[in-house]
Amino acid sequence: MTIELRTERPSPDRLVLHLHGRLDANTYLEFDGAALPLLTELPHGATVVLDMAGLEYISSAGLRSVARIRKATRTLGGHTLLLDPQPQVRKVFDIVKAVPVSEVFTGTSELDAYLDRIQKKIIDEADGGK
Amino acid sequence: MRGLRSIASRLALWSLLGSALVLTVVGLLLLGHLRQTWLRSAHREGGTLALAAAHGIEAHLARAGEVTRLLARLARTRSDPTAQLASDALKANPDLAGILFAWTPDDPTHPPVAPFVDRQPNGTLTRRDLSHDGTRYWEQPWFRSGLDCTDGCWQKPFFSQSRQERLINYSVAIRSAGRSIGIVNADVTLAWLQSVLGSLKRPDGAVMFVVDHEGHFLAHDGTARLGLVATPELRQALAMAGDAPGELRAGIDPSVSGRAWIYHAPVAGTGWTLGLLVPQAQLESSLRRLFMRELSLGLLAMLGIAVITLVVTRRTLSPLATLTGRAEHVARGELDFTLPRIRRRDEIGRLTHAFDRMRRQLAHHLEQLTRATREQERLRSELEIAHQIQVALLPSEHYLDARCAMFELHATLRPARAVGGDLYSYFMLDQRHFCLMVGDVSDKGIPAALFMARAITLAKALAPRARHPALLLDQLNRELCQGNESCMFITLLCGVLDTSDGRLVLASAGHEPPILYQGGTGRLVEVTTGPAIGLDEDAGYVEQELTMEAGDTLLMYTDGITEAGAPDGSMFGIERTLASLERAPPPTAPGEFTARLMADVDAFAEGCDQTDDITILALSWHHRSREEAGMLDLTLKTTLEDVFAALERCESVLDDAGVAVGIREDVRLVLEELMVNMVQHGHENPADGSIRLHLRTNEGAVLAELHDDGMAFDPLQASVPALSGDVADAEEVGGLGIHLVRAMASELTYHHDRDGNHLQLRFIQPDQTESPT
Repeated sequence: MTIELRTERPSPDRLVLHLHGRLDANTYLEFDGAALPLLTELPHGATVVLDMAGLEYISSAGLRSVARIRKATRTLGGHTLLLDPQPQVRKVFDIVKAVPVSEVFTGTSELDAYLDRIQKKIIDEADGGK
Repeated sequence: MRGLRSIASRLALWSLLGSALVLTVVGLLLLGHLRQTWLRSAHREGGTLALAAAHGIEAHLARAGEVTRLLARLARTRSDPTAQLASDALKANPDLAGILFAWTPDDPTHPPVAPFVDRQPNGTLTRRDLSHDGTRYWEQPWFRSGLDCTDGCWQKPFFSQSRQERLINYSVAIRSAGRSIGIVNADVTLAWLQSVLGSLKRPDGAVMFVVDHEGHFLAHDGTARLGLVATPELRQALAMAGDAPGELRAGIDPSVSGRAWIYHAPVAGTGWTLGLLVPQAQLESSLRRLFMRELSLGLLAMLGIAVITLVVTRRTLSPLATLTGRAEHVARGELDFTLPRIRRRDEIGRLTHAFDRMRRQLAHHLEQLTRATREQERLRSELEIAHQIQVALLPSEHYLDARCAMFELHATLRPARAVGGDLYSYFMLDQRHFCLMVGDVSDKGIPAALFMARAITLAKALAPRARHPALLLDQLNRELCQGNESCMFITLLCGVLDTSDGRLVLASAGHEPPILYQGGTGRLVEVTTGPAIGLDEDAGYVEQELTMEAGDTLLMYTDGITEAGAPDGSMFGIERTLASLERAPPPTAPGEFTARLMADVDAFAEGCDQTDDITILALSWHHRSREEAGMLDLTLKTTLEDVFAALERCESVLDDAGVAVGIREDVRLVLEELMVNMVQHGHENPADGSIRLHLRTNEGAVLAELHDDGMAFDPLQASVPALSGDVADAEEVGGLGIHLVRAMASELTYHHDRDGNHLQLRFIQPDQTESPT
């Protein structure tokens, strides 16, 4: 079993990474190699969404990969959001309290609502700035 | 005083009886002697009386004779007025009844006057002339015999017709010119003689009499016999010479009845004899009277003695009666009483004193005994408690490996006394290793029990760290050598069983070799043994491994089995032990092994006290098929490839076994974290090491074991990572894997030995531990 990564770019400041398979000590290097270069292209304040619906398994090595993505996004001033983690994966995240609960979403609509709120906030800030 | 049962009464009675006997015998002897003396004195008295009486008669007769002889001398001539002379003489002598002067006639035709003056009964004197009464007196015999009596003699008695009574006369010849010319006759009446006799003294009942030389009674107390002739026997008795008294048979003399004694004395000048008859009965009656008086006096004295004896004995022995009563008190166990006061230092006094001392000593001993009994009771209860504590030190007799049912154990320990020095113990060292031991402390009893307690506690404390039997023995030895001044030691056989495969590692410290029972036969497993524990601080021990197969049973025991003694002195021995186990039917459960061996030893030692503690431990290995034993048993190199290949295998195996997905994922995650850790951190050169993975399920739980030869790492000791809620917060993310492992495994045990790290993990289905929500 390996890891498969499919990327989607719905907007310039949003990157969606669809994960499939397992993210463990055997695959995290492959994942890191594929995902991290994509982050460098992102603009400031971009949002990275990790779609975990297809991720069957994650180990501590995988957690560390997620941590690296979150760190990279944070340096860009953006967010890393988790979408639809399977129960087993969710359990691992819960045990190590890997990400704030507010940044884990189930279902795209919930995510979209959240993203819209952020978008609006940014625009308001921009308007306020003018 | 209890009648005849009291000593005082018996003493009095027996002394009374004894003195009565003595008195009777002495009395009889005395009676005989008294009788002799009495008789002698009676005889003497009788003789004297007879003599006195004879003299009395003589005196009377002598006076008559004197007068007569005087008359004869006066009447020398016939012409003398003899008649007047006779009258005067009669008047002067009242004893005389009549006087006659008679002359021999020169011419018989003209006899001279022969005056005879006679005293009439009225006292008047009459005068007669016998010469003319026609009797021709000169021809009469009395006259003729009278002529010969020149000095006077007493004639025979005769009956006087004129006086109508019996008379005797005393004749004296009248001599003239050398011839007798006539005689003077003085008459004396027998009544006079009788009166003389009657005036004489005699004993009561005695009969006195006078006989003449022809045996005629001249006087007799019984007047009817006067003039009669005495019986020849009487005459013979009288004739006996001397003064000796004669004894008369009954009936010889009718005047006395019964036997009698006769005393006699001659009446001098007459030829008469005076006799005195004293009846025997009269003699003896006085004797008897005397004797009876003496006897009653004696009896009185005896009674007095008896009374005195009784009183004195009772008085003397009264403390004895009190002592007897007190002794009965003692027999009932009552020791508090007063004793009679000691008055004298005699036997009773000493007895009382000794009794008092005895009572005090007894009370003292009783008190001591009570104290000793109480002490013993306390010791016994302490021993009982010690026994319970010692039993509590031992694990239960039966142990069945509940988790995997791979083995079963049964142990029996029977101390010879309340507490003993034998020990057995067993416990799981970890999920997989089972430690068991059997030991025997030198000596028995309380010291051995204390040493045993020390040893078993130490062993249990040291075992989890030592992990290997030889090491355990080594450490135990070092600990027990310290301060072992009494040089006690313990032989110990220690084994560690790998419950996964039946490998058993044994080490022995001078203990009996165990018996391996395989396929119906038992054999001794020769274990290279070190010295007993507690003697040599530098002792070393070696290990030996054997693998138990299905159905094998290992027996560990102490020398209480092999050295159990029979009454004949023989020992049970190892041959009997082996034979006992091999006897059909073959035992199957470990409990049967111990029970049979114990029963055989008991039967062998029937009648003997158990001298040593007995311990038997039987360990049976139950075979389990490989499929059951483990779903997966892999040995892999420390490379990620191997690790992940193994993880794949695990997953598929667990899937095949129908393990739920949740568990499966947990197992995989935990194994990955651990194994990746081993690969990445265990070795200098990562690919050098090897990992052994064992996986199996049991009652829905998944059991996993990981062994690696890398650096020691105890996941349980790893620090908990700082969990901020965001993995991105930490500078360097680490420790998450171990945290996951700890969170996900239901159980986790770790130990490290020279083989490396050993991890045991257990995963339980969530619905088995938590109720579904």
